[in-house]
Amino acid sequence: MKCLSIEQIYLYIEKELSEAENKKIEEHLTTCPKCQRALEERNLLLQAAESLPLWQPPPDFTQQVMAKIFPTKVPISSWIKAMSAGFTSIILALFIFLLASGQNLSGLLISFNQALWSFIKNFALLFVKIFKLATLLIKVIQQFFGFLINGFTSLTAIISPQVQIIIIAISIIVILTLIYGIKRKLFIGERT
Amino acid sequence: MSSMDEDKKLIEKTIKGEKEAFEMIIRKYQQPILNYIGRMVGERELAIDFTQDVFIRTYSSLHLYQPQYKFSTWLFKIASNFMIDYWRKKKIETFSLDQPPKWDSSNPPLQIPENKPSTIKKLEISQLREKIERAMEKIPAPLREVFLWRHINEFSYEEIAEIKNLPVGTIKNRVFQAKEMIRSLLEEKE
Repeated sequence: MKCLSIEQIYLYIEKELSEAENKKIEEHLTTCPKCQRALEERNLLLQAAESLPLWQPPPDFTQQVMAKIFPTKVPISSWIKAMSAGFTSIILALFIFLLASGQNLSGLLISFNQALWSFIKNFALLFVKIFKLATLLIKVIQQFFGFLINGFTSLTAIISPQVQIIIIAISIIVILTLIYGIKRKLFIGERT
Repeated sequence: MSSMDEDKKLIEKTIKGEKEAFEMIIRKYQQPILNYIGRMVGERELAIDFTQDVFIRTYSSLHLYQPQYKFSTWLFKIASNFMIDYWRKKKIETFSLDQPPKWDSSNPPLQIPENKPSTIKKLEISQLREKIERAMEKIPAPLREVFLWRHINEFSYEEIAEIKNLPVGTIKNRVFQAKEMIRSLLEEKE
């Protein structure tokens, strides 16, 4: 038998050959030191490869995947419970504060009411001012558009329909070119 | 019950809505998938993220699973497609099934060279492992992939052929090329 091919050696190590082929190879190996050396070398390589350290997943890996697949939904009852707990804590904290500071509850309520009233008063004044300013702005915009429409109607009365069509066509071309230019600029920006 | 039957039972239960069944699937396959993806991308955090994504993709495609195939090969097919998508996004050369890859034309020698002194036998096993890890990073990803499946994940050539949808002969040749490429890299002086 002539010398083994490298592929044959691998298949022999991996027990991928038939019994008859294995027997032939074993017979050859007893008489051929070159093939023996090649076999030992490849055997060593595969042994080392098959015993490489394994990557360990983090201990909470399964939980992480499960949480992504099945995100937990908080039931409404839990929200109500949380809100009532929060509200009770506020009341309790207020009560402790009153006890610790020795303040009168009615006095505290009066000062709170006063502060609230002044806030509402100031907010109402601000709202009125904003409303006045907004109505003024609307009037100005209305006048501006009225002026623009008047100008446009008088212009169409002067210019012939053919010229009007040419102007409209040129405007459309200019607008489209502008849009295309902006898009291209943005695209190049993205690429760079 | 065989591992294959056990997997099929777990999938049936998952489809019926038993979350615990899918949890068991994750526990069973998290390490093999992480070892494959980890050695393909080389970064632990990225590999963990990708492994999670593979399980999420698997869960959302469970209704497409055909019980005549082994679940493990189907799962690895999803992982392999995931890696191909990643390489495409990163514009790393992927292998087309229609065109022979560049490395296909550079076959390793088939016959044993004459009395060439080898460094492999002189190395300690731990040194050899380290060198193999480094050599694996240098070989083309499609070869690394089949090498990992064969010698780390311990799939048979037939199973790898099923994952890649390629003839067994092609897979055997690619694994052979991978091994000889790694071996020649081990011989190189650093």
